[in-house]
Amino acid sequence: MWLKRLSTDRIARSFAPDDAVVVVAPIKSALRLTALNDAAARLGLNVGMALADARAMHPRIKAADADPAADRQWVEAIADWCDRYTPLVGLHPPDGLILDISGCAHLFGGEAALAGDLVQRLSRHGVQARAAVADTVGCAWAMARFGDASARTIVPPGVAREAIASLPVASLRLAPDVVTLLSQVGLKRVADILDRPRAALAARFGTGLILRLDQALGCDEESITPRRPLPSYVAEQRFADPIALERDVLGTIQRLGARLARTLEQHGEGARLVEVVLFRVDGKVLRLAAATSRAIRDAALVRRLFAERLTALGDAHDPGFGYDMIRLSIVVAEPLGPKQTGFAAPDRGEELFALIDRIGARVGMRCVLRIVPHDTHIPEFAAVEVQAADDRRRTTDDGDSSSVLCRPSSVLRPITLFTRPEPIEAVAEVPDGPPVRFRWRHVLHEVAAAEGPERLAMEWWRDESGSALTRDYFRIESREGARFWLYREGLYERETPAPRWFLHGLFA
Amino acid sequence: MRTSGAAGALSALKREVATIEGTQASLEDGPSAQPFGIDGIDAALNGGLIRGALHEFGPAGAIHLGATFGFALALGSRALAAHRRHVFWIETTFAAAETGRPYGIGLDDFGLPARHLLIVRVPRPIDVLWVMEEALSCRAIAAVIGALTDDVGLNVTRRLSLAARASGGLGLMVRHRSSPMPSAAVTRWQIAAAPSRLDADGGVGHAAFDLSLVKNRHGRCGRWTILWDPHERAFRDPALSVGVAQAAFDRSDRPFLRAG
Repeated sequence: MWLKRLSTDRIARSFAPDDAVVVVAPIKSALRLTALNDAAARLGLNVGMALADARAMHPRIKAADADPAADRQWVEAIADWCDRYTPLVGLHPPDGLILDISGCAHLFGGEAALAGDLVQRLSRHGVQARAAVADTVGCAWAMARFGDASARTIVPPGVAREAIASLPVASLRLAPDVVTLLSQVGLKRVADILDRPRAALAARFGTGLILRLDQALGCDEESITPRRPLPSYVAEQRFADPIALERDVLGTIQRLGARLARTLEQHGEGARLVEVVLFRVDGKVLRLAAATSRAIRDAALVRRLFAERLTALGDAHDPGFGYDMIRLSIVVAEPLGPKQTGFAAPDRGEELFALIDRIGARVGMRCVLRIVPHDTHIPEFAAVEVQAADDRRRTTDDGDSSSVLCRPSSVLRPITLFTRPEPIEAVAEVPDGPPVRFRWRHVLHEVAAAEGPERLAMEWWRDESGSALTRDYFRIESREGARFWLYREGLYERETPAPRWFLHGLFA
Repeated sequence: MRTSGAAGALSALKREVATIEGTQASLEDGPSAQPFGIDGIDAALNGGLIRGALHEFGPAGAIHLGATFGFALALGSRALAAHRRHVFWIETTFAAAETGRPYGIGLDDFGLPARHLLIVRVPRPIDVLWVMEEALSCRAIAAVIGALTDDVGLNVTRRLSLAARASGGLGLMVRHRSSPMPSAAVTRWQIAAAPSRLDADGGVGHAAFDLSLVKNRHGRCGRWTILWDPHERAFRDPALSVGVAQAAFDRSDRPFLRAG
């Protein structure tokens, strides 16, 4: 599909319908035209002309600055919208889209109907497009841009060769200098080069020419890189009358989920990552994804997850004039055996996972964490927080988790640890004594009892700069009874002349 | 025939009223109150800390925040049961910066194995309240500890206590700053750290708390000092408890300071 007047269509709303609008950009130190709309084209202006010349010819044209980033965003939004036809949508920058509709065309009543529907809907949104359906990417590209002027062209299978024969050579997506070379030699149409010996062409004009020719004719494979990963299971629902109420949206999600549950059960799989795509009537596309901590098939659970998602969106969820299509796709699926339903008491483990999923859907899965021990003596790395959803087997593990590293039972660790140890001012005996008093967060604490030191040397085998200092940890109780975990960083005189003190954690 | 039908209907109605009033405990959850194991406190609380309700804890001063969290964790560790295997700890990132993050190794030492703890760290305080309500409604959770830095209104605490009652879990609201605002919590405590009993060699002992029960809906208030024994996961009365001999090991190479 070729978006013929991309740049001017995007800004068309700011101007009156009959104005001649051009888009200009500074090229070679002069403002030149990079795009025109239909009215400007009718006046005889061309791309590449200087703005000053154009203004001299027609003083009343309106000019706007080129904005390639905004153009690209617009093309991407249109590509999102084309998702309703097929999940395989690729971009041909700067102003083309390629859709793979093999297997989808029958859903819309045939290729001609699909192309016609696409062009018509786009024109209702104010976008001029020319669509061409063909066997190969190359042929479709050529027919869309250089074919005859009708808005859509269908090339029946097998007729690609005849179809492109009459097109100019530029339709083969060649580099501009190759096109100039070919025209200098007199090869202006594709038909002229179709019958020439390939070896001679390759020697004279490069292998790129042969590659493009083969791609256009289908002798060479060319695939589309889709913009998103393809889901394993998809179910969608269209509405003749757009819906906007949240209750209706959630009900549709549940029904689609029930439809997919049957397919999932046949394949023995469950969903781990579910995506809902909501297509608004005015063209905007809203995507919501929800992850779960274990494979599920239950449509009611899926509905609950997305209820939390929509609530989390809050005001950002704006149905506009309604949604005319809702699609539920399962992006990640995992094997899940058949479930035995019965009258037994509800499984509390399942309830816990459902709770974790709900919380994850509302605030994000990375907010729900578990603690996993690690094999290191450095305190801040000995216990690491990981997402609870990632390894659900560990969450229900009741086995004996004996600590990975052996420690004497009297050496206690604090119940809370600061991620960055807080610097404190401490007065202590040199060289190795515990602090006598210290100041933390502007409060002075007198030490009543101290235990330690526990000397932890940093891992010299990991420390390349040789600057990690040994720590002497003390378990301190202050006069009021509060208990702290402090350390002195650096051995006096052996590692540093003035060791600093830090507070690393709190005890109960 | 008629009388038996009437009697059956009456008992069914009684059960329904009991459920609405919230006094019926589920059989598999055990007793409806979690005892402290110390006579004075259990007598004041009419059996112990009531399950299926919300309890509020605040520090007696800013330096006692660690002790307040420790006390809540100790209660959570006692609430673990066969089919309620997890304790939820809910906080904001700001609260985590103020008190530090829960440290798994230290929690193992304290008596709450880290594998039973699930941490939810959210950006906004209002999310803490939502997560607390959701977690309290789940029947697989032993205790929910929510760290609140700001004041919350009466409606919020009422919702939380209703959610706790419906599922029978223990709701523990830990405030970063004690506040006099009214709340729907069944009990309100002020916690301070007490000087611990020094062990035989003069080192710092285990956790000790000064508890002040300042509001009790079902009994009287009071003040107590108790010790926490992490090995037994139980509270001890300092006057009665005898020090348990620790395993012998060589500590001669470790210098330390006598209490001064």
